Amino acid sequence: MYFQKFVFVTAVMVLMFTCNLYASQNNEQQQFEKSVILIRSVHQDFDYVTPWKQKAMNQSIGSGFIIEGNRILTNAHNVSNIRYLELTKQNVAKRYPARVAFVGHDCDLATVTPEDTSFFDDTIALEIAGIPRVNSTVSTYGFPMGGNRISVTEGVVSRVETDTYVHSGADGHLVIQTDASINPGNSGGPVIQDGKVVGVAFQGLRMAENIGYMIPTTVIKHFLDDIEDGKYDAFGSLGVLMYPGLHSESYRDYLQVPAQEEGMIVISTMMHSSVETILQPNDVITRIDEYNIDNDGQVQIYGLRLDMSEVVETKHIGQTAEISFYRGGKLMRKTAKVALNRPILEQARQYDKPPRYVCFAGLTFVPLTRNYLETWGRDWQSKIPHYLRYLFINSIQLNTDRERKEYVVLAEILPDEVNSYAADFRSQPLESINGNRIWSLDDVDKAFKQTVESFYSIQFLGNNRMLPIDAEKARLRHPLILNKYNVPAESRLEEEL
Amino acid sequence: MNKQIISMSMIIVVFVSLCSQPSEASRRGADISEAMRESIVYLETSFYGYEQSEPWKHKDLTGNWACGCAVGKYEVITTAWSVANLAYLKALRYGQNEFVGAKIKVVDYESNLCLIELDSKAMSKPLKPLKFNEDYRKGAEVDFYWLSSDNRIYNGRGYIDRALVRKTNTSYERRLHYLAGNTSQRTGAGQVYCVDSKPIGIASQANNRDESSLVPAETINSFLAAAAKDDYEGFGSVGFSVSELLDPSMRSFLKMPANLKTGAYVDDVYNLGTGSDVLKKADVILSINGIALNSYGQFIHPKYELLDFQHLITSKTVGEKIVLELWRDGERIEVQCKVKNFQASEMLVPYHDYDQQPEYIITGGFILQKLTRGYLAEWGDDWQGKVSPQLYNYYRELSFKPTADRSDIVILSYVLPMNINLGYSNLGQMVVKKYNGMTIGSISDILAAQKLNPESKYDVIEFEMDQPVVVIPREQLPAADMFVRRNYGIQKLSNVNL
Repeated sequence: MYFQKFVFVTAVMVLMFTCNLYASQNNEQQQFEKSVILIRSVHQDFDYVTPWKQKAMNQSIGSGFIIEGNRILTNAHNVSNIRYLELTKQNVAKRYPARVAFVGHDCDLATVTPEDTSFFDDTIALEIAGIPRVNSTVSTYGFPMGGNRISVTEGVVSRVETDTYVHSGADGHLVIQTDASINPGNSGGPVIQDGKVVGVAFQGLRMAENIGYMIPTTVIKHFLDDIEDGKYDAFGSLGVLMYPGLHSESYRDYLQVPAQEEGMIVISTMMHSSVETILQPNDVITRIDEYNIDNDGQVQIYGLRLDMSEVVETKHIGQTAEISFYRGGKLMRKTAKVALNRPILEQARQYDKPPRYVCFAGLTFVPLTRNYLETWGRDWQSKIPHYLRYLFINSIQLNTDRERKEYVVLAEILPDEVNSYAADFRSQPLESINGNRIWSLDDVDKAFKQTVESFYSIQFLGNNRMLPIDAEKARLRHPLILNKYNVPAESRLEEEL
Repeated sequence: MNKQIISMSMIIVVFVSLCSQPSEASRRGADISEAMRESIVYLETSFYGYEQSEPWKHKDLTGNWACGCAVGKYEVITTAWSVANLAYLKALRYGQNEFVGAKIKVVDYESNLCLIELDSKAMSKPLKPLKFNEDYRKGAEVDFYWLSSDNRIYNGRGYIDRALVRKTNTSYERRLHYLAGNTSQRTGAGQVYCVDSKPIGIASQANNRDESSLVPAETINSFLAAAAKDDYEGFGSVGFSVSELLDPSMRSFLKMPANLKTGAYVDDVYNLGTGSDVLKKADVILSINGIALNSYGQFIHPKYELLDFQHLITSKTVGEKIVLELWRDGERIEVQCKVKNFQASEMLVPYHDYDQQPEYIITGGFILQKLTRGYLAEWGDDWQGKVSPQLYNYYRELSFKPTADRSDIVILSYVLPMNINLGYSNLGQMVVKKYNGMTIGSISDILAAQKLNPESKYDVIEFEMDQPVVVIPREQLPAADMFVRRNYGIQKLSNVNL
């Protein structure tokens, strides 16, 4: 009986509290709703096989929200490869054309600006807070599934960890997992706790119910700091590959690391990275700045145990980190610069950049990129030709040429009598033209602009055969082929926006 | 009147056509099921082989059957495929209730043929050997025969569609086959095919389009002749690969005269097999033993019409002389070589290792093993796109290129988790570069390397492609090996063919 009463009292108290809370939450929610924006966009992707063409247009709906400085923050994937953009506020019929101000595809964030600044009338900028506690409640605001009314869903923060951002497919940053439903259209909407933004909803998990992810404010703040100077530089790294090998006492002893020390073993450094001249394989990194690294490569940061990359994520390109490491039993300390450090074969999807190409005698060459490889469709990683797969997975190890800027592949052949026998070489990466090694697409352009008397002899990586192109015939047929196949220009070597 | 003429004409046409059609028996030869009772046997086979990813373990025992065709009183021939990874073999003769013992006398996986000796003492009476007829008639009707487990002779029908050079299903080798079309049964287990009641080949492979590949009489007769000698040497293996040479620009680039329209382009030269010692990349093979090759690498065979060039080598016995007419560096030249072959085990990445336990060494729970195609194929359908591209690249590009320094690719395939390898248990599919500082060129090198640096506390393994170093404390190895035996039930910690 006593238990039932207690329950009742508790229920009344909860009810009273809930009523007050509901009233205040209702006001607060109305304020938020004025700051949450519906983003309609028209996208048009590029064709990476016939790179002067574009794919069919498609429309999408996403969310965004107003932050200080009359800016609207949203996901990069809402505004990538954009042709047209317009914004709508809830309860206002007017549609506001807008433009993308800044976009960070590696962190899936962007800011957009309406052309009409009256858009910001009667709105408030949402404040950005820190990382919410695990098991605390958050509310996701947005326009899921294309509705015109703001949807608010509640959920609990279930995990904070480093994970891959699906938009680029390769970049990993901190993510916050929540069980609040995040559906198409929610993307770019704010995730609110205690009246402040604690994340941007951005991706879900297809195979699981009610698992959504938000971009934490550490990433948001990095992005906003980065664009302060008027351009986005992206997140950087140290460019070092490590292995959690100190779990093995023998490995530790072999590397002469003191028993009490924890850390990560250097396996290799990236070519051209700032640590290339600082670190060596079998160095053991024990500390970065003031953070001790444990044997799993984790540090204590933001009150959480997170991957040591999180320390680098706090820095901008050009900033430095102090690294402590053991080499041959000696503790050393060096300063390393944070840099882009992208692999020779870019693992991340590219957006907003028309693909570069060179088309000569119907042979169309493009840089070997993830976008090109993804033209094989679903399961592309197992369907692409062997050597492309080998390069994609192991380009860091396979490329020993310091001059190389990229790999170039013969993507398409526009059939003509001059290239009738070239079909076997389609989708193969270039090694050389007339004996000149190909380090970039520019080299292809230069090679075909050289006047040769007999043949352009084209060698491919991983192929013993050579493709000879009759030079005189190629020069004669080249303009005719461009004309026949409506190729607007024989090359595009710059990534103009 | 007209109608009468038309009717009469029709009757005459029908009569003439009836008379001109051969009877069923004369068209396809008589049903020789009865005669076949004395010449074919039912072979019951049990297999196990080895798990490639757990090379100390046999696979589950499975059973199958095949048809054996008498080539001696107590000898039968069947496909090598039927006896690959054999555990036990027995034969059943028509009209005899009891199985008789059987054993392999000669098996050639490259020819996909096997000669089996039956226990003569257990046979109720000798078999009646058949002679394989090498006559070839494209389009001929064929009948095929086999003995079932219930001691009945069955037969089926089809026709000879063509002769072709294709990959055998037991090997990397491309050999002459007949293709039988429109077959009434799927056959691929040694069924005896006959034209006009004469055996012309045995079934080696079937597809789901009612087609069967046959090992032809020519191959069978050569195999039997070679098997009759004490030391079976087998037939030639091709030591290079060619690609078509259609592109006039390529011909011009190679400085070939405009009137020279023949020849195939040598795009790779192996370290094994016929021609590997005399050919160079970018040679053009104009003829082999005076027989001209076209731009696709094919030649006109007097009996089989257009065939791929491999037949000119694989039909020869080891040691025979071959004359290659080449276009090299702008000149027509002639080179000679001897027909050579090699065992799959000699390949850098063996294509098959039938009947053999994979080579491996387990030390401290680290499983080091020789890379084979069988190991890679463990990834299932479309394994080429699933396995580590580095391992696949070794298979694809270097299988036929062992060197004096490197005869095997040794990999760390898996780690059996235990205290000694704490922190390493997620490693796998890594190519071993050095062991205790010694460059590893074969699995047996590991045994030698383990004896190096006797003062060192550790065995140290380094790998290709930016991988961590494995450090194994030597003093813990005896206890670790005991743990592997006890906990993982692995009694044999290594299998290395020295």
